[in-house]
Amino acid sequence: MSLTDPAFFKQLDRLRIRVRAARGHRPGETPIPRTSQAWGVEFESYKDYSPGDDFRYLDWNAAGRLDQLVVKTFTAEREIPFHLILDTSASMGAPTGDGKFPHAVDLVTALSYIALASNNTLRIAALSSPPRPFLATPFLRHRNRFLRVSPFLEALTPTGKTYLRESVQAYIRQAKEPGVVILVSDFLTRPAQYEAALLFLIARGYEVKAIQVLGESELHPERLFRRGKLYDVEEQTERWVTLSRTNLEKYHHALSVHCDALQQFCHKHRVLYTRLSTAQPITETVTETLAQVGLVTLH
Amino acid sequence: MGILNPAALPFVSLLGVLVLIYLRQRTRTRIEVPSLLFWADVPEDRVRSRRFRPDLLFFLQVLLLLLLIGGLLHPYWSRAVTETRGDRQILVFDLSASMQARENGVRRFDLALDQAKNVLHALAPLDEVMLIGIAARPQVISGFTTDHRLVLHRLESLRPQDTSTQLELGIELALVQRDRAGRQAQIHVFTDLSSNQLSLSEIQQQALTYHRVGETDDNMALASVHVYQNPFQDYSQAQAYILVRNYANRTKTATLRVELNGQAAFQEVFSLSANDTRSFSLSGFTGPGQLAVHLESEDALAVDNHALNWVAARRSWQLVLVSPVAHLHQEVRQLSQALPGVTLRSTRPEDFSADQVGEQDVVLFHQFVPDEAVPANSLYIFPPVENALFPVLTEAADLTILDWNDEHEILHNLQYVEALPFKQARILALPSWAQVLISSKTSHGEIPLALTGERDGRRLVCLAFDLDAGNLTDSDNLTLLVLFLNALRWLRPPNPLDPQLLPAGDVFFLPTDAPLDGALLSAPQTETRVLETDTVSLDRVGIYRVETASYRAELYANLFDEAESDIGRQTGDDTGTVQPAVSPGVRTSPEAVQREIPVEFGQNLYWLAALLLFAEWLYALWRSPLEGVS
Repeated sequence: MSLTDPAFFKQLDRLRIRVRAARGHRPGETPIPRTSQAWGVEFESYKDYSPGDDFRYLDWNAAGRLDQLVVKTFTAEREIPFHLILDTSASMGAPTGDGKFPHAVDLVTALSYIALASNNTLRIAALSSPPRPFLATPFLRHRNRFLRVSPFLEALTPTGKTYLRESVQAYIRQAKEPGVVILVSDFLTRPAQYEAALLFLIARGYEVKAIQVLGESELHPERLFRRGKLYDVEEQTERWVTLSRTNLEKYHHALSVHCDALQQFCHKHRVLYTRLSTAQPITETVTETLAQVGLVTLH
Repeated sequence: MGILNPAALPFVSLLGVLVLIYLRQRTRTRIEVPSLLFWADVPEDRVRSRRFRPDLLFFLQVLLLLLLIGGLLHPYWSRAVTETRGDRQILVFDLSASMQARENGVRRFDLALDQAKNVLHALAPLDEVMLIGIAARPQVISGFTTDHRLVLHRLESLRPQDTSTQLELGIELALVQRDRAGRQAQIHVFTDLSSNQLSLSEIQQQALTYHRVGETDDNMALASVHVYQNPFQDYSQAQAYILVRNYANRTKTATLRVELNGQAAFQEVFSLSANDTRSFSLSGFTGPGQLAVHLESEDALAVDNHALNWVAARRSWQLVLVSPVAHLHQEVRQLSQALPGVTLRSTRPEDFSADQVGEQDVVLFHQFVPDEAVPANSLYIFPPVENALFPVLTEAADLTILDWNDEHEILHNLQYVEALPFKQARILALPSWAQVLISSKTSHGEIPLALTGERDGRRLVCLAFDLDAGNLTDSDNLTLLVLFLNALRWLRPPNPLDPQLLPAGDVFFLPTDAPLDGALLSAPQTETRVLETDTVSLDRVGIYRVETASYRAELYANLFDEAESDIGRQTGDDTGTVQPAVSPGVRTSPEAVQREIPVEFGQNLYWLAALLLFAEWLYALWRSPLEGVS
C-alpha cells in the first residue's frame, strides 16, 4: 500500500490529527478537549441553565429528578488551522540512497489529506534559505484542495543550509491565526537553531508537533562506507574518516545525545515529538507509528 | 616449479595499474552526509587519507589479477615419475635400384627385408624403433614407436626404386635422430653397399650395425644412350651412341636391341669380357620418334638394361635479323642459306615491331635494342649506348680475353676462344639476371664481353663486341662462327611436345603457368592418377606423362648410374652383419628410468580466479547495500 493506493486514503479518511491545545474560531469538526459548547455532537457535561441558553438542550429528566434546570454541554469542535512545515535544506536529501526527503514529502502529503479531510484549514510551508526563507501554499480548505498539495510538494528539492529559526520566524510572522504546527525535519542542526524555532512557535501560542525523519545510513553509517571522505552537503566541508569500531561508537553516541536532547526539549515544552525512520513504509508510519504517539487518532 | 610462458610476466605490471586505479578512486570517492555534527568527536584520518591503505576488496582484486596472470604464465611443478622404457633402434633401409639385383633368384631387397624383420622380432616389447628409407632422398617412414607391428607393416610395404641412393645422407639423418631426447639409439643399416664405399668418418661407422646383403657381380648394363642431333639436323642425320658395360668378372654375352617407335632398328648379339665396355653407334633413322634400347642379358639386375631416348624431327624456324648494317644482312643471309630449316627475315631497326616475332622465332638484334620486351629468345650484338636492357658504362677497343665459362653450352666445342675479334666493344654493367660468358679486363676491372641469362622466361645472349664485315663468313673467323651458331642453337627453343630426358630419381617441376587442376599423371608400374602437387618424383625407369587441359609433358626417366649397376661392390668385404666396434650395450630387461615431468596447474588458477570473482561479487554486494556513494 502506498500513497497512490486508494485503499490507503480510505484509511486516512478514518483518521484525524489530534489537537490538544489549539483553538479555532470557526466551527468545525475537530474536537477540542476540555472545551465545551452549547451544541454539538459529543456530550461533555451539564451546566446550570442561564437565560439565553437554548431550550433544546435542557435535560428534562435531570430537571425532574433534581428539580433544577440543567443544560447539556458538548465538546467544542472547531476548524483548526494546520501548518505543515517541511524542512527542505540539503541535509534532507543526503545520503541520496536513504530517500529521506521523499519520505518526508509523503508524510506531509498524508497529513495534508488527513487535515483537509477533517474540514480543517491547511497551509504547507517549505523552509528554505534566505533571502526567501520559505515557500508556502495559501490556506487550503476542504478536501478538494488536496489536489494542490502534490504539485507544490513535487516542485520542492532539498537544497541550501538549514535556517530553521530564521525561516520559522519569517513564516509565523505573517500567519494571522495560531493553530497546530507540524514541523517535519531531520533536525540535524545545532540545538540552538531548533530550540529557538520551537520556542518561538510555542510563544506565539501554536500547538507544536515535531517529527524527526532520519535515514538508515544515518542510523547505521557502517552500511554506507568503511573509510572515505565525508562531505557535509550543507556546510560543504570534508572530513576523512575511518569507520573503526571506536569511531562508530562515538558516532552513535553523538547521534543519541543529539536526539535525546531534542526529545527532552520537546517533552519539557509539551511539544509532541516522534522520530521516524525511512526504512518504515509511509503507510505504516502514518497508521501505526503516528497513531501510537498520539499524533493522529481515529474519528 | 617453474613457468612455461615467461612472456606473460610483463602482465604483473597491471598490479601497479590497479593501485593507481585505487588511488584515483580514493581521491574521487566522496560520501555525502547530511551533517558532520556527529563526526566532530571522531578523529579525522588526516595522515592516513593521504596514504594508500588498501581494503579487503583491493586484496581480493590483487589476488584475482595474480591468479589470472599466474594462469597465463603456465606454471608447473615437477613430478618425479618412474618410467619403464626400452632401447631405441633405427632401421636404415636402402631402397636403391641395386637392391633389385637377384641373388640366386632372390632379390637383395628381400634378403635385407628378412634381416630387418629378424632385428625387429628380436626387440624387447618396450624398445622403440624408427624406420628410414633411402633412395634418391632419405625419408623417415616411421618415427620412434614401440608399435613393432606397425613398423613391420611399413617395412613390408616398402618397394625398391629405380634410382641411385644417398645412403650417407640417410645415415647422417639416423645419426641426428640417434641422440634425440638424450637417449642413444642403435642404428641398423640394410644395404648392398659396402661400408667402405661410404664417406663416413670412422666414429660414425663405429656407431652402425651394418647388414650388408648381396655378393654377385653378374650384371651388364646400359651405361649411356645419347642421341646427338643439333637443331639444324633432321632425324636422318641424328646419331645415337649406346655404351654397354659388363660389370661382371667374367665374359658375358648379350643381345642389344634398338627399336624406333616400336619397330626394330638394330639388333646385335655380342660378347663382352670382364669389366669391358663397348659402344654402338646408330644413324640413318627412318623417322622421328621414341628410341627404345634393350639389353637382353642373363644378369642379376634388369632395371639398367632398358633406356629411352628421342629422335627429334627437324622443325623449321625463323631467324629475325634486326640490324642497321647492310653487310650483316648479307652475311646472315648467306649463313641462313647454309642452315637447313632456317628462314631468315631481315629488317631494319626503324621497321621492326614486336608483333612480327613469334614465340618459336629467334631474334638477332644488332646495334639495336627495342624498347618493348620481345616475346622470343634473342641475341643482342653490340647494343647501342642508350638501351633499356644492358646498361653501357663506356666503350673500349682492342680488348683481350680474361676468362670464359667453358661449361656453358654456347662455348661447348669452342676452341681458340682467344681468337675472337674484339676490336670495339661496349663495357656493360652486368644485369642481375645475367651471367658472364666471356670476360675481359680493363681499367674498370673485369667486364663482360658476352653474357647470357633468362629474363621473363626468355633466353637472352648479348655479345658486347661489334662484328666487322666478313666476320661471319670469312674462314679466318671460324671461332666466331661457331660461337654464333652455338648461341643460335642455345636460343632455339625446344619443341614443347618432345619428351624430356631426366635421370631416374630426379624431381620434375611443372611450369608455374601450367594449371594443376585435374592434371593426370601416368607413371611406370602405376595406374593413371590425379596429380596433387606440382612436382613429379621420377622413382621408376620409364615413361611419365603429365596432362592437363592446356599442358602436356612427356618424361623419359633412365638409370645410368655406375654405382648402382656395379652390383659386385668389389671394394667391400663386409658381407653379412657387422656389429659396431663399440656396442651400445645389449639389454634384455626394460630399463626403469627416473624422470621429472612438468605438471602444469595454470588451469586450476583460472578456476580459482572464477571462484574468487564470485566471492568478490558477494563481498561487494555486502559492502555496498545502499546507494549514495558518489
